Amino acid sequence: MVRPLRTEFVGDRAGLFRFAMKLSALTVLTLGLYRCWMKTRLRRWYWSAIRPGGHPMEYVGDPLEKLLGFLIAVVFLAFYIGIFNLILMFLSFSLWEGNFVGYAASFIVIIPVLFFAKYRARRYLLARTRWRGIRFGLEPAAWRYSMVAMVLWAITLLSAGALWPLMTFHLEKFRTNRTWFGSAKLSQGGRWYKLIVPATPALVSLWISLGLVAGYGATEDPAFIGGLFLSLPALGVFWVYYRVAAFRYLQSNKMIGDDVAMTATPRFWRIFGIYVWGNVAVGFILGIVASVVFFVLVVILLILGFSEDLSDAPVYLAFPLGLLGYFAVFVFWDVLTQVFVRMPLLAHYAESIGITDPMALSALSQRDCDAFLDAGGFAEALDVGAAI
Amino acid sequence: MSDFENGLPDPRQSKFGASKDSKPLAEEQIFLDYFDGNSAIPRRVELRIEGTFLSLTPAEGPPVRWHLADLRRVPDQAGGKDASGIVLALKDGSAQRLYIPADHKNLANALSIKTPVQSAQPTVPGIRYKLLGLSTAAIASVAFILFVLVPLLADQLAEFLPVEGEQALGDVTFEQIRTALNQDAGGSVQICERAVGQAALEKMTTRLSKHASFPFPLKVHVLQHEMINAFALPGGHIILFEGLIKSADTAEEVAAVLAHEMGHVASRDATRGALRSAGLIGVLGLVFGDFAGGTLALFLANQLIEAQYSQSVEVKADDYAARLLADAGLPPEALGVFFRRLRDEFGDEEGLVAHFSSHPALRDRMQAAAEAGRRNDYNPTSSVLTVAEWADLRRICG
Repeated sequence: MVRPLRTEFVGDRAGLFRFAMKLSALTVLTLGLYRCWMKTRLRRWYWSAIRPGGHPMEYVGDPLEKLLGFLIAVVFLAFYIGIFNLILMFLSFSLWEGNFVGYAASFIVIIPVLFFAKYRARRYLLARTRWRGIRFGLEPAAWRYSMVAMVLWAITLLSAGALWPLMTFHLEKFRTNRTWFGSAKLSQGGRWYKLIVPATPALVSLWISLGLVAGYGATEDPAFIGGLFLSLPALGVFWVYYRVAAFRYLQSNKMIGDDVAMTATPRFWRIFGIYVWGNVAVGFILGIVASVVFFVLVVILLILGFSEDLSDAPVYLAFPLGLLGYFAVFVFWDVLTQVFVRMPLLAHYAESIGITDPMALSALSQRDCDAFLDAGGFAEALDVGAAI
Repeated sequence: MSDFENGLPDPRQSKFGASKDSKPLAEEQIFLDYFDGNSAIPRRVELRIEGTFLSLTPAEGPPVRWHLADLRRVPDQAGGKDASGIVLALKDGSAQRLYIPADHKNLANALSIKTPVQSAQPTVPGIRYKLLGLSTAAIASVAFILFVLVPLLADQLAEFLPVEGEQALGDVTFEQIRTALNQDAGGSVQICERAVGQAALEKMTTRLSKHASFPFPLKVHVLQHEMINAFALPGGHIILFEGLIKSADTAEEVAAVLAHEMGHVASRDATRGALRSAGLIGVLGLVFGDFAGGTLALFLANQLIEAQYSQSVEVKADDYAARLLADAGLPPEALGVFFRRLRDEFGDEEGLVAHFSSHPALRDRMQAAAEAGRRNDYNPTSSVLTVAEWADLRRICG
């Protein structure tokens, strides 16, 4: 009997902080151009920290192909969005005498592209991911995914959320059943209704919250708003609970090829604790950083002789200093969130994943490299799921 | 380390292992995990350095030989080499990998000094040339969309917008502005409607509009607000603020501002602007996606582009005003007088900020108004309002 294979996570906060600070600063200094390099290098770092069986994952994406993909996507989308929005706004002005319908419609027409972009980005990500030298892959099916996702969303909305577990399960199944590790195909087992029980507390809090909103709309009684102060935090907590439980169930029912099963044991309280304490830490440190930045800017202005009234500072001074302060706070916020929230979450999820029979991996072999043109560029341009 | 048990000797039990006083590399017996790029099963290989080659000998089968000059370190590894070792690859981009864990510190150190970091492997052939071509094409086409296509389409569509739709849009916008300008929550800024003041305003409006034609009936309002400003909304709404009327010395100055806003109404500038910005914001949102502070970059870029359009639109409205004033027998220089007052009061916008401003610099506008005064001959007839009417207009808000 071979021991199951467990996953280590070797990332450290200090290393990530220094690395991410350096990359973010470069991104700001290059007016955002460096973000392709930043994303690629951060992914390399995160991937290398995840070590199933002690062997690091590897991300082999190329920043240049990412930039190329982004440019391709911008050209396509700029035309689509620029012209489409304008025409929608024209129709909205002519037929509905305002801009609300136009904005709503321009969001709705972009929804299928959002799902398309998410799937494409995932395909690119997997095609550039290796473990033990073996490539992952995802079959091309982005438009089908987009259609399936919209149908599942429609069902979920029509059922007032009751069929959310159906959507969670089938979207995951769609993706998993098209995922490959080398020559081995992954498959999603299990049944969607097993997710109903873990989803129930979140759904009940959702319905209570909606009921309270409707009640307030009908009676304008502030007691309903008071109820929301209880039901919305409950919704948040139970939502996290559902996410963790769904992850555990779905991962534990995945197979790599026919013989290798996966296991996953993420713990809700650990994840919840990371969300709460991680964000508290971010807020606390950010408060200190923001005060220091503000203090330094004021001191600079005072030294330069604007002691009477700081708003007298000429615009060529106030503008760059204000800009500097603004970016400093944003960069710190982003980096601190990575260090105190995203990395610990990833570490806990990664460490909870295992493989039951690693010896059976001997049956699989390498797969061909998947050349890409847009390299996740659509997701990048539309700002969906393109984070690390 | 690997939990994988494959019967080969574990390097951790080797007496050479990670001890500080280890002997030169070539004399040690070091076993490492090697992946051949075709199988997911680690192969235990014995590592030796033979001249300029790294030799990896498995328990069975022929050894793999890597030239030292071909070795590359996989970059950006978490934990650093002291905590988590290094990963070696080949410069040709093959999927073969050799893991040197942190407990072989000396080996990792020795190799990482000599081995350059692996550059990303281009998966698209000739990516650099493609990138150059494509980035030029992308910048050109985004610029074309932003500066040509969107404004052109906005101008064209504005012509086709039904008059009723535009008027309704103007009514809605007018109410929104009244609410937005109000400092107290819930209310909206008062419209000034004292009858005698209204009559004076009416007289001024009629005198000017007799010489012009508009797509819709004009609706001129005075709002009780101290701002020294005026603007035109879609559908023929013109808004003058009480602050503007109070700050003017003569009725001609107010008439000049009114004529300028009539220029905006005549060419439906507000509608064009609303359509244009719908296209602009969407496209800019793509370019400045999600990096820290991208929202600010988006805002500034939008402001810069809008300002370029709007400055040229303002120049046209100034020209229009000068002509209209002359046609109505009023002095076109009055606009310049009003700009001078604004500049003396608030100063001009110069340098970088001027490019972000929706209006051209006051100095330029004054100059243009003075020239227009010389260019547009006019027969000075009666002044626009009598002294009494001018006093009534100044007290239109009570």
